[in-house]
Amino acid sequence: MVLDQDLVRHLSESSVSVELQTEEMTLNIGPQHPSTHGVLRLVARVDGERAFDVQPVIGYMHRGYEKLSEVRTYPQITTLVNRIDWVSGYANEVPFIVAAEKLLGIEVPERAQFIRLILCELARISSHLIFMASYPLELGAATPLFFALRERERVLDLLEGVTGGRFHPNFNRIGGVKPAYGSGSSTRKVIQDLPAGFLAETRDAMDKVMEAVDELEQLVADNEIILARTKGIGILPPEVAASYGVSGPNIRASGVKFDLRKVEDYLPYHLFDFDIPVGENGDCWDRWHVRLLEIRQSVRIVQQAIDGIPSGPLQAKVPKVIKVPQGETYVRAENPKGEMGYYLVSNGNQGPYRLKIRSASFSNISILPWILEGVLVPDIIAIMGSLDFVLGDVDR
Amino acid sequence: MTSSPSETETAAEAVEAPTVHPLQEYADRVAAAVEGTATITFDTVKVEVPADRWVSALTTARDDLGLVFFSWLSAVDWASDVQVGDPFPGEVDDRFEVLATLSDISEGRRVTFTTTLSKETPSIASLVEVFAGANWHEREAYEMFGIDFEGHPNLIHLYLPDAFQGNPLRKSFPLLSREVKPWPGTVDVEAMPGSDDEEEPADGPTEENPEA
Repeated sequence: MVLDQDLVRHLSESSVSVELQTEEMTLNIGPQHPSTHGVLRLVARVDGERAFDVQPVIGYMHRGYEKLSEVRTYPQITTLVNRIDWVSGYANEVPFIVAAEKLLGIEVPERAQFIRLILCELARISSHLIFMASYPLELGAATPLFFALRERERVLDLLEGVTGGRFHPNFNRIGGVKPAYGSGSSTRKVIQDLPAGFLAETRDAMDKVMEAVDELEQLVADNEIILARTKGIGILPPEVAASYGVSGPNIRASGVKFDLRKVEDYLPYHLFDFDIPVGENGDCWDRWHVRLLEIRQSVRIVQQAIDGIPSGPLQAKVPKVIKVPQGETYVRAENPKGEMGYYLVSNGNQGPYRLKIRSASFSNISILPWILEGVLVPDIIAIMGSLDFVLGDVDR
Repeated sequence: MTSSPSETETAAEAVEAPTVHPLQEYADRVAAAVEGTATITFDTVKVEVPADRWVSALTTARDDLGLVFFSWLSAVDWASDVQVGDPFPGEVDDRFEVLATLSDISEGRRVTFTTTLSKETPSIASLVEVFAGANWHEREAYEMFGIDFEGHPNLIHLYLPDAFQGNPLRKSFPLLSREVKPWPGTVDVEAMPGSDDEEEPADGPTEENPEA
C-alpha cells in the first residue's frame, strides 16, 4: 500500500498540535533585559512558541527634552540633544545646530563643515560597530563583540581627541565648531583646531577599521547558525516600513535606496563619492549586512574628507548672545539610526518657542507590534536586535 | 541650494525680478493637489489644509504625490498665556497647530502639512488608517497637548504613567523645577574668541608688563 505523503504529513502535524495545545499566557520581557539596549518592556500574548499581540511599553527613559528646551538657550540645548542617541551623540547635535543656523542665516566655514562631516561619519562607524558587537551576541555569538569593540574604541579615541568627550562631545557651536578651550588669556583669539596628527591617525584607524570589517564579515557571514537565525526572519516590506516611518539602514535593508545624505544639504555630502548599500529581502540578515557595508562607505567618506579638508576658520562670526530670529524650519539628517530631525519654532529670543525632536529609533520600533505578530518567541530577540535602536532615542 | 540652469542664464534679469525659491513650483503643485495653501519657510515646504480635510489631504499626498514616508506628527501650542519660556511677541491667536511631515523615498522631497485646531475642542480625525506610523505620534500628541484623535484604535498615554494629570507640552503647564529655582545658566554666557565685546583680560600680557 502506498501512503499519500501529504496526508501523512498533515496527520502527524495535527496530532502534534493537538498534543501541545497549551493555555495562552502573557509573556513579559523587560524593562530590564540585556537585549533591549535600555529600558524597554514588551508584553506579548504567547500561544506555544508563537507570540501574538506584542505591545511595547516605553517611556522609562522619557526626559522631557522638548519641554526642557523651551527654557534653555540654543547653546545649552546642544548638551541635551547629544544625550538622545547616546551611541552617536555627535550626530544628534548637527541637525539642531544647522536648524538654528538656517534661521540665523549663518554661513558655516567650509573647514568647520568638513570637521562636522568627519565626526558624523566617525559617529556612524562607532554606532554601527556597537551593532556589530551586540547583535551577534544577542544571537549567542560572543566573539564578534571583541573585534567590534576594539575598533570602536579606536574610533572613540579619535572623537575624544577632538571633542574631549567619548559619548557626549558637545562640540558644535552655532556658526561652526567649538572655539578655544577655556577663556584664559593664553588661549585668547586662538581657535582650537584639530589636534596635531589627528588626520594621520584617523587615516590609520580607518585602515584598521576596514581590516576589522573584513574579519567581522568572515566571522559572522560564514557562521551557519547566525545565517539560520537571521535569513528570512523578520521580513519588512518597503511599503510597510515607509508607512511606519522606519528609516535609515532598516528601510534600506528592505531595498529602498533612501539616504538623506544624498538629498538634504545639512552637510556637504554632495562633494563625496559614496554608495548607498541596500538589501534584497528586508530580513534580519539584510539589516545586519547593510550596516556592515555602510561602515565601508563611511570609511570611504572619511578618507576623501581627510584628503580634501580645506583650511580656514572654524567659526563664523556670531554675536555673543545668540538670539535666533522668528521663523520655523525642519532640518533632518541621516543619523546612524535613521532620520533625525528638529522642527524648530523660534520667537526671536535666546531659546526656542517649540522644538519637536524627530528621532529615528522612535519610529523604528513603532514597527514592533507589526513585525513581531506571530513570530517564534526566540525570534523576538533576533528581530528586535536587528532594528538597532537605543532607548534614549525612543523616549527623548 | 543649487540654482536651476534657466535661472543662471537670466542672472542679469533675476536681480530685478523677485527671486523665486527653487521649491516654489513643487510647493504650488502640492498645494493644488490637496487644495491647501503653501508657504516656504527656511527651505521647509509647509502646506496648510482645513482640519476637516486633514485625512483626505494626506491620503491624496500619499497616493498622488508619492509622499509615502511618514516622518512625524506633532503640535505647537500657540498661546498668549505662557507659563514657561518666552512668549511670542505681539498678539498671538490662541490655537493648536497640528503638523505632520511626509516625505517621498526616491527624490527625498518633504512636505510639512499643517492644520489649525481650536483650544476649546482640540479634536481631529486620526491618520492611523492612512499611515500606520501615526499611531504612536498621535498618542504622544494626545498626552502632551490633550488633542483628541477621533478613530484612533488605542488612544492612551504613551510615555506618561496612566494616572498622570495634565498635558505637559501645553504652554500653560508649568515646569516645576523651573518654578522652584530659576535656571542659573542664563548668566553664564561664555565670550566667543575674537568677538568685539570680549573683555580685555585683566591678567594677560600687556605693554607695561609683558611678562605677566
